Amino acid sequence: MNRVAANLLRFGVPVLASFLVCGLFFSLAGYDVWEVTLGILEGAVTGPGSFRQSLRWSIPMVLIALGFMISFRTGEFNIGGQGQLMLGGLGAVAVALIVPGPQLLILPLAILTGICAGALWSAIAGLLKLRYGADEVITTLMLNFIAVLFIQWVTVGPLRDEAVRGQTASTKRVDPSLRLTGGDGISPSMLVLVALAILVAWLIAERTPFGLKSRLVGANPVAAMWQGVPVKRIRLWAYLLAGGFAGLAGALEVLGPNGRLVTDATPTIGFTAIVVAIVGMSNVPGIVLAALLFGGLQASILFLPIVSDLPSSGLRIVEGLIAAIVTARFFHLRWRKKQAASVSE
Amino acid sequence: MGIALGCGGVTVSFDSVKALNDVSLTLESGKIHALLGQNGAGKTTLARFFSGLIKPDTGRLEINGREVEPGEVSEARAQGLEIVHQRFTLPPTFSVSDALELSATLKKGRAVFSTNTVAKSWGDEMQKAGIDASPFAKVGSLPIETVQSLEILRALSGNARILILDEPTALLSPGAIASLFERLRKLRADGVSLLVILHKLQEVLEIADTVTVLRDGRLVANPTPIENTSSSELSDLMIGGDGGPSVLQAQAAMSASGKARLVADSVTTASQKPGEPELTDATFVVRESEILGVAGVEGNGQRQLADLVCGFADLQDGKISLDGVDLSELSLAERRRIGIRIVPFDRMSEGASLATPLWENVITWRAEEFRKPHIPFLSVRAMKQRSREILGGLGVKFDSLEQSAMSLSGGNLQRLILARELENGVKLLVAAQPTRGLDFSATDFVLRCLEQLRNNGAAVIMMSSDLDELFDLSDRVIVLRGGRIAGEFQPPYDRQLVGDAMVGATR
Repeated sequence: MNRVAANLLRFGVPVLASFLVCGLFFSLAGYDVWEVTLGILEGAVTGPGSFRQSLRWSIPMVLIALGFMISFRTGEFNIGGQGQLMLGGLGAVAVALIVPGPQLLILPLAILTGICAGALWSAIAGLLKLRYGADEVITTLMLNFIAVLFIQWVTVGPLRDEAVRGQTASTKRVDPSLRLTGGDGISPSMLVLVALAILVAWLIAERTPFGLKSRLVGANPVAAMWQGVPVKRIRLWAYLLAGGFAGLAGALEVLGPNGRLVTDATPTIGFTAIVVAIVGMSNVPGIVLAALLFGGLQASILFLPIVSDLPSSGLRIVEGLIAAIVTARFFHLRWRKKQAASVSE
Repeated sequence: MGIALGCGGVTVSFDSVKALNDVSLTLESGKIHALLGQNGAGKTTLARFFSGLIKPDTGRLEINGREVEPGEVSEARAQGLEIVHQRFTLPPTFSVSDALELSATLKKGRAVFSTNTVAKSWGDEMQKAGIDASPFAKVGSLPIETVQSLEILRALSGNARILILDEPTALLSPGAIASLFERLRKLRADGVSLLVILHKLQEVLEIADTVTVLRDGRLVANPTPIENTSSSELSDLMIGGDGGPSVLQAQAAMSASGKARLVADSVTTASQKPGEPELTDATFVVRESEILGVAGVEGNGQRQLADLVCGFADLQDGKISLDGVDLSELSLAERRRIGIRIVPFDRMSEGASLATPLWENVITWRAEEFRKPHIPFLSVRAMKQRSREILGGLGVKFDSLEQSAMSLSGGNLQRLILARELENGVKLLVAAQPTRGLDFSATDFVLRCLEQLRNNGAAVIMMSSDLDELFDLSDRVIVLRGGRIAGEFQPPYDRQLVGDAMVGATR
């Protein structure tokens, strides 16, 4: 019980602190903080349909964050969630648009293809790291750019929707029978699917030999190696799983709220999800909580400019500050541990 | 004769443990003083206190007869005191001259310099000190005794008048120890005062003018002229009355007829560790109920031997089998399943994961055994329960299964590692330096564990740099030199012959 309280504190304090600091700056800049606060609450929770909107944004965040957590626990900093998300969307939309068949077959196939596409995209970085030692932070980041350009090419090329004119290219809409939700992105089937995915992530992380071994691998790969734990194989699986979860998020975007693959539909979700994973302290309940919080912020970001004159980038600052404060604590803790280790030597 | 170093009423505590307890002593200048004690007696803490690296809870510090603020490195250095640490501080990727210049720069401040002038000036210094190495060589590529000479040169470069050496002999071969001592005597002749931390009696008797003994953080013998003491007296002071000397009698089961367990047939490894010899054309057998001792100066193929048994090193040539099963294609996980276990060289970095909870440290490698019936998921409760039994089986002291391994003392951590490795069906155990850095009673415990394992029929390969414990325990001893088996010995062991094989001397 004590540990739960301590974790809530570790979660809550940085979040509150960043809101307070931002509030201070907003008021210094001449904004009515009370109005902004109400605006945020309205955009995230109290406004009509706003909670649905928050949930809608939490969904891709929680999925990508869970994938990030799985790979982070093995010590790999896979920040390619954004690219894996887009590839997942591409996989799903390609199946939904091209393969004919009954809905009952095509829908799972599209989701599965999305998962696999994300996993394979992530595995590229994994293989580059584990075989050739290429730093995963750089490769996953760069693969994000490649994914963006690849999707751009696909949406103006092979899968282009001729009917759409204007700046953002996109594919055709998938058949409504293959959509899990309407435009608001929430439906019972969607929520059940996401709940299942969260459960699966928890089981993988906490109740499988893989999950246990990945903790050891992340904490001390050398000690793991001497105990016969196949470090590289565990890490490769972590890449596949991280990509798989991000790919699932992409598939659900396409088959849910978006209904088609749009270039630049969600350009920052993959990165916000990393913050979600870190704020959620790399455990499943924490990540779910953090995803709800950041989903709410995302919903407000889209809503706030309508009711208050605070530009949406104001809330990006809140987001960034939370990330900064939490990360600082994170590394502080690790540093303290190292120090303790060297003293006891 | 002046006072080089002095301290009064020094107490240093780490958390609740008193590493030094009310220590007061004075050391005369121009002499070689030895500081003797078991592991954990507080020797290194005292050395760090003298050099200003540790601020004591209470106590005063005196250098060159002058009162100095304790806990200030710059103050100690200003008085001409330098320390050579047990772990070397010269950056291994630097060239020799750059590394020396770096540490000198920190003191004197030469702002701009060219590689060649630096190399030349340090090359001259090295020549004067009789160090045979190029100033352009990378520090990491040099033999350990040369790096140590460089560390001493570095320490003296700021005109140090007092030099503290923390366990300088720990990693050296007998020949290198002799030349180190030669160097120390020369320094003494030049008027440098030396405080040398040692834990081998013979070395103390050979080099020191006076000896000071610490036990459990307390001073048990004031600086005593070496003529006025004897090795038996020092041994008693070090170990104390309560523990009593080790009575480890090898039962010398002499089961030369026992079944061969591990058979290595003209094995050559390809482990590709730079600067270390590969195991070359090694043929040896370890039988059931046998402890095979492996002697050798560090870095002569011990790592490669462990890598061979674990499967980390590729086989370039030869065959290796356990109970007739060819090992060459098996991963370590598979090898562990058929009964191969290992206590790795470094318990802090290889043997355990310090940031990981205790139970995960002992159970993770065999997590598969704890699947729930009918569903593929693990029972955490069963794993924790089993972990508790495993830890309890070897008497690991702990409060909670969730505490991190970091919170255990060295001896307790080694118990944890042994508990994990000895659990259930061990056929062959490789124990790599299992007693390094442990105090007397923890060492004794480890050795007894190995003995018992042997008596239960397992084969044991024991690598140690402590010849006494190897001789006490082993049924046979092989010596590694340059990756080759340079000799095999039966009890009773002749220390001189084994030593000759280790360093390649001929008489």
